[in-house]
Order: sequence, then structure tokens, then C-alpha cells
Amino acid sequence: MTDKTTYTNQIAVVKQECPDADEEEVGQEFARYEKEFLIPPEDALRSVISKFQAATGVDAAKGPSVPVREEKKVQRFSELGADDRNVTIEVSVVSYTPRTQMVRGEERQIAFGWIEDNPWEAGSERVRWDYKDWGGKEDTLLPGSVVRLEGASVNEWNDKRSININRTTRVTVLKEGSGDPPVGDEPISISKASEIEGFVNLVGRILSSKPDVIVRRDGSGELPVVRGRIADSSGSIGFLSWKEFEHEEGALVKIVGASVRKFRETPEININDGTVIEPYHDTAFPELEELSASTKVSIAELRNGMRDVSITLQVENWNQRTFDANDGGKRVVRGGDVMDPTGRCRLTAWCEFDPEPGDFVRIEGGRVQFWQGSPDLVIDDIDQVSSLSDSPWDKLDPENHWVGVGLSDITKGGSRRGVSTVGTIVAINNGSGIIERCPECRRMLRESSCSEHGLQKGEEDLRLRFVLDNGASNANLFLGKEPAEEFLEMSMQDVKDEVSSTSSQDFVSRLQSLVLGRKMLVHGRCSVDGQGAMVFAERAEIIEQKPAEEAEEVMKRWGLVL
Amino acid sequence: MIAQSASTRVRQSAIRMFAQEYSEASLVEQGVGEFDPSFVVTKIGARVNRCLVGGVIERLERRDADSGPYYSGQIRDPSGVHYFSVPPFKPELHPDIEELLARFDSGDRFLMIIVGRSRWNESEEGGIFTSINTESFSVIDRTAYQSWLVEASEATLRRLDAYSKSLGCELDRGSLVAAEVPEELVSGLLQSRAHYSDFDTEAYQLFVLKALSAARGESEESVEVAITPAVETVDDPGPEAVGVSEPKEAVMRALSNSGDGLVDYDTLVGACISAGSSREEAEDTIEHLRDVSMEISEPRFGFFSIKSE
Repeated sequence: MTDKTTYTNQIAVVKQECPDADEEEVGQEFARYEKEFLIPPEDALRSVISKFQAATGVDAAKGPSVPVREEKKVQRFSELGADDRNVTIEVSVVSYTPRTQMVRGEERQIAFGWIEDNPWEAGSERVRWDYKDWGGKEDTLLPGSVVRLEGASVNEWNDKRSININRTTRVTVLKEGSGDPPVGDEPISISKASEIEGFVNLVGRILSSKPDVIVRRDGSGELPVVRGRIADSSGSIGFLSWKEFEHEEGALVKIVGASVRKFRETPEININDGTVIEPYHDTAFPELEELSASTKVSIAELRNGMRDVSITLQVENWNQRTFDANDGGKRVVRGGDVMDPTGRCRLTAWCEFDPEPGDFVRIEGGRVQFWQGSPDLVIDDIDQVSSLSDSPWDKLDPENHWVGVGLSDITKGGSRRGVSTVGTIVAINNGSGIIERCPECRRMLRESSCSEHGLQKGEEDLRLRFVLDNGASNANLFLGKEPAEEFLEMSMQDVKDEVSSTSSQDFVSRLQSLVLGRKMLVHGRCSVDGQGAMVFAERAEIIEQKPAEEAEEVMKRWGLVL
Repeated sequence: MIAQSASTRVRQSAIRMFAQEYSEASLVEQGVGEFDPSFVVTKIGARVNRCLVGGVIERLERRDADSGPYYSGQIRDPSGVHYFSVPPFKPELHPDIEELLARFDSGDRFLMIIVGRSRWNESEEGGIFTSINTESFSVIDRTAYQSWLVEASEATLRRLDAYSKSLGCELDRGSLVAAEVPEELVSGLLQSRAHYSDFDTEAYQLFVLKALSAARGESEESVEVAITPAVETVDDPGPEAVGVSEPKEAVMRALSNSGDGLVDYDTLVGACISAGSSREEAEDTIEHLRDVSMEISEPRFGFFSIKSE
């Protein structure tokens, strides 16, 4: 094998930084570092890069990469500034949690955890920071070890600083770690554990536990796991055990060194080989019945990926359809819209469940998946459902069941249906008016071309896209054909006529004078993800402005007198 | 890092804000990366990347830049004047603003609402002049404007309240949250308190009251206060006003037009700019007239009159 093939990965990184470097020479340099200087290629990376940067004349002024900054060597995190790069510091590794993350559309293995500065002193003298490992340093960043980082950078986000360990960062192990997660830390409450990602210790009672399998994506077989739920007085959280788990429902246990990870939008406790579980004794700990009651949720609280959901619902409508399964047989899926006082969602049943509209039902052990951006409750077994004879609430009117939610609460909450909200229109987005859709996939055509299906004879559609804003939060607002027609008090044909007799720009201008800066009340559903919130209107109306009354209210609210 | 680059794609909300608060801001935060948002941070802690402002049109003109035509104007609200521009790279806005320009030039005045991004110029001495890069705008009726006045008043009251809560606090996130400063105002207040010296918020309360009174007022008089420029600036720019005149002339004309009344600094600067001078020239001229040639005086800070003989 030549040096060029042996060091392919490292050469690729060097080439990124120094595009003009000769691959053969880079390979030889890595071979030299490894053989002559006994420095493995991962650790040699930085040295090789700086060498070739100098050799090929890539420097801060003209290089495409981040300017090479002078090394900043510090002892304590407190000496670091928000935009320090090329930092050298010795730290103690507290935890290392790998995770797959989408980075610019690519799935990448990264990791995060805690490190502490001042690693040679007692723990009380140390400061703990978060770090992220972008460079695949899992072999050197073992929990418990002390390492020297060279070429790390500081990241500041929401006023909180953390360390980034990059591919070019050199990690030198100064003291070997055991790889075990830290032990001896005090357990924390489950509600607190749900808010963090990383290693935790906790004490809780097992609410449920059952064996399950995870099918490997690559088809190489199945992994036996145990799934369940554990609770304390602060709340409950799902767990996933990758090793045997013999504790029964109702058992009180102490779990040391489990990691909290998010499955979709739901935190989950991961139990693996390094985790220690032992029986725990505390006569004051709440009993099973009491804790089970705390796991009941409302529709507003549903998040993608939840399991073991207990919830009470009112059925709005119900139907079933039959489809051809992969194995050639017929399968039946039943489903409908359900409501509770906090909103509405879908319920899908993969079992013979046939409620009547208006029925009250209780679901135990349901799971939540996403369907068109909204939570969809799923039950797989008829035993998960029970009918309620007593009404848990005054019967909700499906025709008029909307839950008013402030725009800021929408953007901070989860995706949900059956909400109404208010905001001011601050923009009319592109693609408002008559558009053409791909007959195959309904995507909007751009210049008669679909991004998926190429040139198409488009189908015309009407759509309005606005931005709702309340000064603190904002959301994209979509009106499909029917709500748009209703809002404009025009049929799609009317809009087409207007556009063809003037222009689409004129239509948007007219729309602008109609809505810009006006408050709008919207009924519909919302979908929230990392990019922000979207509200899909079923109907939208401009709120009539009564400035004198509004002014009175503001003065009353703030105690002002004229 | 990922979170950070994702956050830049999250749209910034539009701050409702009166002109005085914005024009007094001198703290700016330039985004680091190409797509990172920049902010103007006001004295009471609004972090302004995007804003929603309203007022009566007071000046509007077309200029030619190397990159094409752009439009520059002013709208006045109860507290003062917002400077805005419609840049060359927003050609989709040009037909609508041309239409408004024709209306303006024919002597028509109207209420506008503007959504825009904050921008600023820095003078050689380090002074910051804030203005607005228009994203969209619309002519609105009186009711809609009054409604905006109420919204901007409430947003300002909320910031004033947060500001006063922050006065007794240590300047860190935890203390402000504990003092019940609303979450979205915390970062801005930390920045503003560290940058600006303490100041009396009475002027801010005053223009909020003015705005609320205008919003409430059914009678024409009280509304006049809000929607008529407190002081007429230049004459309607007829053909003779289009040519460049000396900034001194513009200042003197604006002052003599006001009779015995006082004219505020922004209006004088605006008058000079309307007459074709640069902002720096305007500033220098006003200073010169006040301190050297003593043709004008400043009886109250920021308000000018012609020196009586």
C-alpha cells in the first residue's frame, strides 16, 4: 500500500486546507511523522497542515480557509474569549456521548459531553464546560482521562460558551481514563434529566418494562432491547436498555451512569454496559399508582417520538380503509380525529377499534409519530383502549373547538392542530397568488419545472404565504386554496382574471395594502421545527381595529393616566 | 456551531418602536458571518434587526447610485423621525415607491407603515446614525396607524418596565430573569446597560403618552398632534428645491418657516439632506451656525431657533 492510500482520510483534510498540496508529498509527510517521529497520522494532522500551508503559500490573506491564528495557551476556561480559536488547554474528560447529527444534509457521527479545566486539582477547583467533538476523537476522549487539546476553538451560543474539538485538533492523552462514566455524583430528578443531554444518575420507580427488538437498518439482524418507563415525583421518562434488564414493574432502582439522548423530540434514558442499576430503598418514595397518574398527558403536550402515552380523548370522527400490504394480503387501518380541551390530533389504530363520534376513550401505552407535521397518536392493540362512561369534560363541539394559543407559545411549543392565534402581518412571501403545481408530487413548479420530476404541465393552484409577527416571535402563515378564496372574498378564477388583466406583481401590491401591518386571527394547525414555526390556516381574518379601546386597555394594563 | 448557523436562518421578529428610541441608539452589533444578523441595540434594550414602524411621510426622493436608483425618505411619528431607504437591490419595490413619490411630489401626504432591517452609518468621529432598509411598506389609513401607535406604545412600555427592573440588578442573565425581565429582552438589556450610561426615561414615557393620546383621540385636534409634523420642514420640493442648495440656506429656511417655534435637530438635518447635502455637512453646518457664526441658538438641548438680534 502506498502512503497515498494509507493516509487517504488525513490527506483529504489537508487538501481542504491546502488545495495546492501534492497528495503524494502529503502522504509521504504523514508516513514520515508516523515512522520517523512516531506520531500517528491523527496527531500529525495539524503539523502537516501548517507545513503545507507554509509550503504552498496558503496564508491568512489569500487562503480560502479560516485564517491561521496564533496559538492561545491557557490554563483555565475563564481566560478564554468568545471567539478564541487555536486554543491549547489541558482538561479532564467527564463524559463522551456519541450522536448522529445531520450536518449540511449529511449524516455525521459527532459527540458531545463535559470537560473540566484545571484537571490536576480537586474537582471543586474546576470549571465544567460543554464540548462537541466534530473530529471523531472517541479513542482519546475517554471519560476519566486528562488530555491536552491543541487547536480547539471556543463557541458561544446563547451566552454560554463551549469548546469545539475539530478534525484538526490534536488530542494528547496525559492520563489514561477508564472509559467509565463518572460515579458518585448525586442523582438528579427526572424532570431535570429530561432537560439535558449527557450522563445522569437517578432514582426512580419502574412504571413499565417490556422486551423489544431493534431491526438493524443494514439488514444484518435484530438487536434485543428492553423498553420501558421510569418515574419519580417530578415526572417520568422512557428508557431503552441495550443490556439485560431484569427489574420488574413497581421496583425502585438507582441508575448510575445512564445517558440521556433525544429520540426525535423526546428525551430518553439509554442504559448500556457502563450503566449500573441497583435496587434502592426509600419507604417515602411515591407508590406506583401515584406515579402512574403523573404520566397522563394532554394533546398539547404530545411530542414526536413519545411512547407509553396515557391520555383521555373525545372522538370526533372515525373511519377505516383497507390497503394492500407488502406481503400481498389486505390490511385494515382505522383512524380519526380526536380532541381534548387542549387541542385536537389524529388517532390511528392498528387493531379492531371502532368508536362512535362523541365517545370518550382512555388510551394507555400509546405512541406518537408525526403525520404531515402534526402529532399522530398510534395504538397497536385493542387492550390499550378503554371506554369511559363518565364524561371527563363537557362535551366539546367539534365544529367550534379551537384552543387560543399566543404566537410566542406556538413557536416555543410542539406541532399541534386545532389552534387559533393572532399576529401582525409583516411580510408577503414569494409564491403568493396563482402558482403551478407538479401533477406528480404537488410541489410548486419553477419555470414550469419540478425539482423532482423535471418539465411538467402544471396544475394551477391558489396560495397565500404571509409572515405573522408579534414583535417577539414570528411564524410563516400558509393559506391554501379554500381559505385563500374565503379570505380574499374572491374565487381562484377571479384572482386569475385579476392577474391576467394586470400582473402578479400588481396583485401582490394590492394584497400588501390589504394586509401589511394588520392584525390577523388565524384558525388552523401549526408545525414547529428547528427552522421555526409554520401555521397552516383553515381560515384567516383581519381583526377589526379599535384603536381607542386598544389604547384604553394598554393604559389600564400599565397604570397610565393622561 | 450547527445550532448557530441554523439560528441565523430563523427569522428575526419585527420590533415595534418609535423614532426617538431608534435614533438615540448608538450601540451596534455587526453579525460575524456573511449571513449572521446585525443589530442596533437601543438605550432600553431593544435588539433591532427588523422593525415595524409607522408615521406620516415627510420626505421622499429618488437618488442615483452606482448600482442603480434608490429612494430615501423620512416618516414622522409622535416622537420624531425615522430615516428609511428603498435600496437599488429591491427592484420589486420600485414601482410602488415610484407611485408614492409621484403622490408626494404632487403635494400629497399620507400615513405609512414600513417593515425594514436596521442599518447604520458611522461618522469619522464614531457617531452612529441609524436608519431603516425597507423590506416592504404600505400606505395605511388613520385607524390602522392608531392601532400601530398602540402596539408600539405597549412594546415601548414593556421595554421601559424591563429597563427599570434591570436597574437594581447585577448585570447577568440570571439576575435579570429573576427580576422578571421578559426572556426576549434579556440579551438586549445586558448589552445596553453595559454600553449606555444611565439616563432619565421621562422623555420616552412622554412620547408614549403622546402616542396613546393620539390613538385614543376621536377629535381631530389631538390626532393632528400625531400625524402632522410638529414642525414643517422644507417646502414641498418644487422644481427649484431639487437643485442642491447650501446646507446653511436649508437650515435658515427651516428655522424661519417655523416662525417663533423651535425646530429639532433631526428636522434640520433632514432639511439639509432634502436640499442635497450629506449628513456630515448638515451636522457641521448646524454646529458652525451655533458655535462660530452664532446665527442660530439652541435654547433647549436638541432644539434650535434663529438667534434674535
